[in-house]
Amino acid sequence: MVPLARRNLFVEKGRFAMSVAGVAFAVVLVLIVVSLYRGWSDVGRFYERLPGQVWVSQPGTSDPFHSTSFLARADARRAASISGVRAVIPVYARHIAFSRRGKTLDVFAMALAVPASLRSSAGTYWLPRGTIDVDRVLAAQASVGVGGTIDVLGRRLRVIRIHHGGNSIFQTAFLNAGDARALFGIDGLVNFLLLDLRSGTDPARVSAFVPRVLPGTEAHTAVQFATSFGDRVTSGFLAVVGVLVGIGFVVGGAVIALTTYTAIVERAREFGVLKAIGARGGFLYRVVLEQSLIVGVLGSALGILATVLVTRLLSDSVPEFITVLRPLDALGVFGAALVTAVAASYVPVHRIERIDPAEVFRP
Amino acid sequence: MSAEPLLRVEDVSKTFGSGRTAVRAVDGVSFVTSGGEVTLVMGPSGSGKTSLLSMIGGILRPTAGRVSIGGVEVTSLGRRALPAVRRELVGFVFQTFNLLESLSACENVEIALNIAGLRGAAARERARRLLCEAGLEARLDFNAADLSAGERQRVAIARALANRPRLLLADEPTANLDTAAGREVMRLLRELTQMKGHAAVVVSHDPRLRRIADTVLRLEDGRLRQPSHPPHVRVA
Repeated sequence: MVPLARRNLFVEKGRFAMSVAGVAFAVVLVLIVVSLYRGWSDVGRFYERLPGQVWVSQPGTSDPFHSTSFLARADARRAASISGVRAVIPVYARHIAFSRRGKTLDVFAMALAVPASLRSSAGTYWLPRGTIDVDRVLAAQASVGVGGTIDVLGRRLRVIRIHHGGNSIFQTAFLNAGDARALFGIDGLVNFLLLDLRSGTDPARVSAFVPRVLPGTEAHTAVQFATSFGDRVTSGFLAVVGVLVGIGFVVGGAVIALTTYTAIVERAREFGVLKAIGARGGFLYRVVLEQSLIVGVLGSALGILATVLVTRLLSDSVPEFITVLRPLDALGVFGAALVTAVAASYVPVHRIERIDPAEVFRP
Repeated sequence: MSAEPLLRVEDVSKTFGSGRTAVRAVDGVSFVTSGGEVTLVMGPSGSGKTSLLSMIGGILRPTAGRVSIGGVEVTSLGRRALPAVRRELVGFVFQTFNLLESLSACENVEIALNIAGLRGAAARERARRLLCEAGLEARLDFNAADLSAGERQRVAIARALANRPRLLLADEPTANLDTAAGREVMRLLRELTQMKGHAAVVVSHDPRLRRIADTVLRLEDGRLRQPSHPPHVRVA
């Protein structure tokens, strides 16, 4: 078969390149929005990465970030008696605002009093006194690196580690438990108890059992906290994300439709010639569809590649920009772009239907 | 030459518009032509030549009358059947060549074969052979836009003959050509018509085309005047 669709597109290389770039831009827009959504959805996973599978708190606590809780330190001993609990980790957590070089920084500070028995597996969260472990975003905002110091509520803390994480809404830091007690002024109290379970123990079962052993408390699994947190963050985003994804597809579809339509209008006479020499409707529609699909496939592929590059670059230069680009999302957007390309060919096909082959006799 | 008429045009008329603005472009035209014959329809601009050609080729529907090609009554066919007539029974040569500019000479012929269902190497080989017959063996892969006017018209003739039509319809085939190119195109039309045995209807107001015509018809205000039968003059 003569590759008429390709020739029609490539004969105007500049316009063809712009069309592919236009579709790529739309795909980048859609994928970045979807990746941001994924990134924000994963923010709650923070709770699942901590050691321990069940959180004990005061009743009415949605998650440590959104609400606080106070428990008696002595509750830790009783919690340890619950069947299936291997260790209890007292947790101190609260938001702290502090000034740094004229800027007010807000950080969600946590301290895990990791018992000696867990330090081999969860030692990352056990910090020596006078030290702090900050996330990448906080480190960038505070302009501090490993070995540098930060003054928090009158106490100078040395940065011993910078962990991955943080975003434009909240930053995290880990402290020594003793420092946290002093800074928070809650001697004799803890904010939460984190229960580390024996292998094979069902967190939901332990969670249900906790109020019986510790009256006046409630328990949540780490997965529940993660989900609750993720839902809170993403529910605010969903409508906006949906609109942006929709706009992206409309832009991409319009670019494909306009490109193909312009290519058809400019070559209306040639399509008339093909009709005059006996081309069936199907033959002509195939040419149009092929043109749309070429622009759609190349634009989408380029868009996906560009998204990978853009998200990496942004993640390096702007740590607050949290994106997670999933292969399935990329594949879905690619497929949707192709469907859009097919739909976009409707307008040019309609135009071809109206071309009168008798026009070709006019000089 | 075959004695049986290949093309039969019977009392064909075409009126554009209606009421007071109605224009009768073709008025009761009848003629026949046989395989291997060239029929030249001459007349001034606006005499209805192109409308007549369009009706014969199944592009325009007559208001009245009948057209039969090789026994197929084209005017009785439905709209969906007409592309097949244009694909299989008729080959068109246009005044402005109407080649696809993004394609090569060979691809312009090949696409006509693709449209008729012939694809791949067989289509490519036949397109090459036709262009060689038209004397374009050195221009096969040239882009259509890079060919001279005479070469383009020869490509258009090869394309028109690609699907072995029974009837070749040419609209002012020499109008945009210089003398030498026009002579070459006339020679090609004459030779191929005799060699392949199809009938050819050429509409033109170029008097040079009389030399290749078996029959010359004169169309004025949509009506045929007295036909004339010139002696065959072969173009060298």
